[in-house]
Amino acid sequence: MNKNEKVSQKAIIVEGLIKNFEVTEKEKGIRGTISSLFSPKKKTVRALKGVSFTIERGELVGFIGPNGAGKTTTLKILSGLIYPSSGFTQVEGFNPWDRKPEFLKKISLVMGQKNQLWWDLPAIETFDLNRVIYEIPERAYKERLNELVSLLEVGKLLNIPVRKLSLGQRMRLELVAALLHKPSVIFFDEPTIGLDLIAQQKMRDFILEYNKKNQATILLTSHNMEDLADLAKRVIVIDRGKLLFDGELGKLIENHAKEKIIKVYLAKDGDIKKLEKIGKIRKVDFPQVVLSVPRTAAAVAAAELLQNFPVADLTIEEEPIEEIIRKVFSGK
Amino acid sequence: MKKYFSVFKISFQQEFVYRLNFIMWRLRNVMQIFLVFFLWDTVFSDPKRVVFGYDREKILTYVFAILIVKAFVLSARAVDVAGDIARGDLTNYLLKPVSYFKYWFTRDISSKSLNLLFAAVEFSLLYLILKPPFFFQTNPLSLIAFVVSIAVAIFIFFTLLFIVSAVPFWAPGMGWGVHFLVTVIIVEFLSGSLFPINILPGNIYRFLLLTPFPYLIFFPIQVYLGNIEGFEFFRGLLTAVFWSVLLWFAMRAIWKKGLMAYQAWGR
Repeated sequence: MNKNEKVSQKAIIVEGLIKNFEVTEKEKGIRGTISSLFSPKKKTVRALKGVSFTIERGELVGFIGPNGAGKTTTLKILSGLIYPSSGFTQVEGFNPWDRKPEFLKKISLVMGQKNQLWWDLPAIETFDLNRVIYEIPERAYKERLNELVSLLEVGKLLNIPVRKLSLGQRMRLELVAALLHKPSVIFFDEPTIGLDLIAQQKMRDFILEYNKKNQATILLTSHNMEDLADLAKRVIVIDRGKLLFDGELGKLIENHAKEKIIKVYLAKDGDIKKLEKIGKIRKVDFPQVVLSVPRTAAAVAAAELLQNFPVADLTIEEEPIEEIIRKVFSGK
Repeated sequence: MKKYFSVFKISFQQEFVYRLNFIMWRLRNVMQIFLVFFLWDTVFSDPKRVVFGYDREKILTYVFAILIVKAFVLSARAVDVAGDIARGDLTNYLLKPVSYFKYWFTRDISSKSLNLLFAAVEFSLLYLILKPPFFFQTNPLSLIAFVVSIAVAIFIFFTLLFIVSAVPFWAPGMGWGVHFLVTVIIVEFLSGSLFPINILPGNIYRFLLLTPFPYLIFFPIQVYLGNIEGFEFFRGLLTAVFWSVLLWFAMRAIWKKGLMAYQAWGR
């Protein structure tokens, strides 16, 4: 395989991506407003400080980071919305910034808080407009629409003006609108934000199924750790514009989860203090006691518990993923 | 082309969504005509009075023509563009394989067609009620010249609006203020939509003719009235076309820069 072929197999290539924003600061109150009018204080925000990664065709990758880490900025650059200060980006062989029609027909950016549906008209009108804009042949459009409509269970909502729908209903219709043209690369920005638990699960199921069925490349940002645990094998962790980790989610957990959680259900009231010798007591909610012990000592600790305490039940678990991510960000 | 025809259709539907709003808007137009009519009718109550070279018939024709030409030239959907940029809604269009200019131009034309349709009905009704001494141009050459000058006027206003609307790329909070200053105050005043600008002192009038503004309202009306024809018409048209081309390129350059500064806010 020569080098060119290798390059063309990558759906997304990002190398040394830098983005600086100029922002004007304003002090509070009228005084601040007036002074910023005459002598605006400019500040450069360095949103991305040289990020590099590549994504293969058909991969589903989670993009994690706290607020302001640069996740959305990266997605915006990859979809051609904002202009990178420097660095190289390529999506499906195109430079996103050129915004060539062939490129735009291949991608979709789904933002949890942005909407493209015409607010006052039924969603079907927007879909029909998208059909024409993306030049989707009539038959393919109908098949595609039926497929998405049944997958997302929105058949009854198509003819109701969008403003009368609930957020969850609207989000599903937004998805239909974003996927009608069968994009091969999709950027999801917080797709489950604001949705209830059932709707979140539905959205996750949908994304996974879509990825499998269409071999679509998906890059997804989320604050919701369940999204990632469910969906992404590979994660890219970014903080303050820098890449912290790029690899399997399992590996991330292994590297940073240095402890295991033991949940003990005690049969009798006993001296809980004694448990401290075995591990750190995280929580006492009698009869349940939660302990954390070093990873390597988990088996020994469990044996000791069973021997010396009136244990009714015991489980050994991994730390919750939120904990681990928090550790990654705090540098532990 | 098919794309933009669909945009045209969906915009048309959108205009009808808020029916009450629509009716109020039309009512406002009618009231405005009444107001202007009675104002000038009173000023020129003496049929022999001539002010600034305008007698009763001419001035009433001029003010009626203002209302129609204004409804067609200065009414534009694209006033929403500045807000689109400031709110980050521009994102939706940038992600799609459509030309943003053509998209909004189509929406403008859609809105104008609707406006014209209703204005025509209202005008006919009012004409029957008020029976103003309106001057009907019958010379086909003047009518063709009028249509051409209206087309150029629409284009100039569109590019002007797009240039002004680009301000929020750099100053998201200033969109509305700048828009108000330029399109409402400057354009209204200098385009002749408050009074015929040839009542101004000769030097100022001649200077204004070098700017793009009179070609929005004043020029098309004068062409309709037959006051500007032949050589004078071509000289005016040439100036207007020159401005169209200049504004078009300026708009393109400004938008290219603006898009590089665009940060897709709102998220």
